[in-house]
Amino acid sequence: MLFPTIEFGLFFSVSLAIVWALNSYNDLKKLVLLALSLAFYASWNWRFLLLLLASAGVSYVVGLYVERERPFRRAVLAAGVAIDLGILGYFKYLDFFIAQAMTLADTLGLHLPLNFVNVTLPVAISFLTFHAISYIVDVYRGRLKASRSPVDILLYISFFPHLVAGPIVRAHEFLPQLASPRRAGDFSFGENMLLILGGLFKKMVIANYLAVRLVDPVFTDPSQFSRLDLIVAIYAYAAQIYADFSAYTDIAIGVAALLGYRFPQNFNQPYRALGIGDFWRRWHMTLSNWLRDYLYISLGGNRHGAWRTARNLMLTMLLGGLWHGANWTFLIWGGMHGAALIVDHAWRRSATFARVGSRPWVKVIDWAITLQFVCLAWLFFRAPSLDAVGTYLSGVLTDNGAESTIVPIVPVLIACAAVTQALPPDFRARLGRRLDNRGPWAQGAFAFVTLYLILVMAPTAAAPFIYFQF
Amino acid sequence: MTDKPHSAANPWTRAAIIYVVLALGVFAFPGGFVSWLDDRNASGWLTAPLALAQAIDKVSAAVGVKGIGQALRKRFATFAGEDEG
Repeated sequence: MLFPTIEFGLFFSVSLAIVWALNSYNDLKKLVLLALSLAFYASWNWRFLLLLLASAGVSYVVGLYVERERPFRRAVLAAGVAIDLGILGYFKYLDFFIAQAMTLADTLGLHLPLNFVNVTLPVAISFLTFHAISYIVDVYRGRLKASRSPVDILLYISFFPHLVAGPIVRAHEFLPQLASPRRAGDFSFGENMLLILGGLFKKMVIANYLAVRLVDPVFTDPSQFSRLDLIVAIYAYAAQIYADFSAYTDIAIGVAALLGYRFPQNFNQPYRALGIGDFWRRWHMTLSNWLRDYLYISLGGNRHGAWRTARNLMLTMLLGGLWHGANWTFLIWGGMHGAALIVDHAWRRSATFARVGSRPWVKVIDWAITLQFVCLAWLFFRAPSLDAVGTYLSGVLTDNGAESTIVPIVPVLIACAAVTQALPPDFRARLGRRLDNRGPWAQGAFAFVTLYLILVMAPTAAAPFIYFQF
Repeated sequence: MTDKPHSAANPWTRAAIIYVVLALGVFAFPGGFVSWLDDRNASGWLTAPLALAQAIDKVSAAVGVKGIGQALRKRFATFAGEDEG
């Protein structure tokens, strides 16, 4: 049940009415929201509900234990994190590591009697693991009081707007919101309507068209495409992944707000970044913050000299890459970003940067290098294997002798994605406020005309959300 | 997000706007909703909503709304290089 589907439209319509009807009965409202969230998750596979319940149960018990000084408090926290990571590792990485072990053994002339586990990857397992770890570590660090309510913990981990692909909402941001009923007036209707409609446009028009018209065919068999197609497809993918992923989180933020809950922002003009460090402060911000707070800082951060800082940056990005999937391509993508962060870190602390860093031409070069690097790294992120990357780059060099297949809509959509991501952060808020000041008829007319145009433009074929697989 | 007060602060006004917009969306493009219900009606438990959706489809076609939507979709698909048929 993904966002731009009839299923979700019906599900959300029912949820909206129930949640506001029960707004004066907060405990009952939470129970119903929990039931709706579990039903949402069960719509993929009800068996994975057990996983969700287990993860929330562990978080609840560990949270209560590590809240105060007790014997083995740190060990209990470590066990809680290990259980969460163990579940993630079993479902997501075990086959990958078995394959690597068997390859290594073959190389050494050994025989390893191992079998693949071949389990279905549960939907949202990465995101629910992030939420579970965030809760117990924050309680351990004293940033948050352990919740006495198992319903609150289960709802925090399973709340359906963020369950599948984020944004990653911290427990200290969400749990206090469950304490008392919300008022609709706490949230701008216009702004959240714009978030949802804008998200639908980015996903259903920009991302879907770029996927079906260029990116998917090119990455399926790069040897059949011309040099121009291959180069444009990299930029088209950069536009697609922004439109696709930011659409999902925009809709999630808007849907949550219409239900009365606030989520953090996840994107802030990422392709305007000046440097890779700046890029990660703008792209998938909730993941970047999570990796910084729970991994980079836990490894020591920048507190132990240049070499340890570089090591920690690289480890954080390698694990961040591996989080996206059990594939060498993701590991290399993470490694590229880790190396770039180390260089960026050193450059921004250099005497040369202190002297010329604020000059406009340096900023233009900074922006151009960052954008080209990020786009090149997307090639590794999107390609199904390292062999495919080789075929792709070889096609860029040799042209494959193919005719270009780029249709006019592709550059138009890349430009649309560039414009949508370049809109200033307060643009939507200002436009939303103007809509708020109009009456319901004007708001409805605006929403309908926008939805109508999206439905006119959306292609017949649709690509699944990219981050759904993570 | 803002915390400013505004006109549609009543959740039911908001819900009504959303429901009307979704209903108008179905009226403008009824084909997708009919197909969606039809695909899920193997056991016959969606017969009543399917009949309602088919009635909406007929009214939409009769007043020309469905035709306009289809023509616009076809025109945009042609511009986009997609053969929608």
